[in-house]
Amino acid sequence: MPKENRSHFATNTIRFRNLIAISASLFLAACTLIAHYDQVAYEHATSAKVDTLALMDKATGSYDDHEKEVDALVRQLDKAYEYDRGRSLNKITIAQWNVLRDPNRNLVGGFLKMWKAKGSLSATFIAEKKLQIADAFDQIIALESGKQKPSEVKQ
Amino acid sequence: MANIDIGAILKNVEDQTKALAQKQIKEYTQQAVGDVKDLLERSKADLKRWVEELARGEMDKDEFESLVQGQIDVAEMRALKQAGLAEVQIESFVNGVIDIVVDAAFAAIP
Repeated sequence: MPKENRSHFATNTIRFRNLIAISASLFLAACTLIAHYDQVAYEHATSAKVDTLALMDKATGSYDDHEKEVDALVRQLDKAYEYDRGRSLNKITIAQWNVLRDPNRNLVGGFLKMWKAKGSLSATFIAEKKLQIADAFDQIIALESGKQKPSEVKQ
Repeated sequence: MANIDIGAILKNVEDQTKALAQKQIKEYTQQAVGDVKDLLERSKADLKRWVEELARGEMDKDEFESLVQGQIDVAEMRALKQAGLAEVQIESFVNGVIDIVVDAAFAAIP
């Protein structure tokens, strides 16, 4: 191969390698779209689900008798929310917590507000609402479970 | 010295990327469609049962309304979950493409 052609070939090879390296760097910089799996966040959600459903069983009784337990649950939910809020690229999970906790909507926040307003709730309603709220928690838990695990994350 | 066959590399990348996209999109679509079907089926059964319970006086109107509106809230949370899982799929796909490009290119360079 003539010297000029060899030089041209070497230049092209270096350019091509550089192009690949740059492209890969750009891709890597752009490819993190959502927070990765977090075991603590998962445990917060599963634990809050269990405690919420357990407290809901008591809503056939007087709200006043269980006010401290309600306050403790609200704090537990707030902690789970704040933990998730502190994670970057986690806006979708935060939006889920907002729907779940909002007193003006109709999941945990709305249930506790209604309990307080009415004093007590019917057993049938509680049983139905528990199914709904369990399903709602499962959406947070399933999203967390579906996030990339540390072992799957490209370094 | 061997020449780098750019055309072959690109064809290799294209074929592998196409296969990866088909696999991931198929899996995600099946899961998302199944999720929506499940929600619709369950909502229909739930609504029928709630109306009967309301009619029997087992719950009051406020409680019935809370359940109906709660179903909309759950649907929103489900949609958010799907949006999140779609982002996970995209991230996984991009990482897969990077692997394909890098592997194909370096395999072709002498």
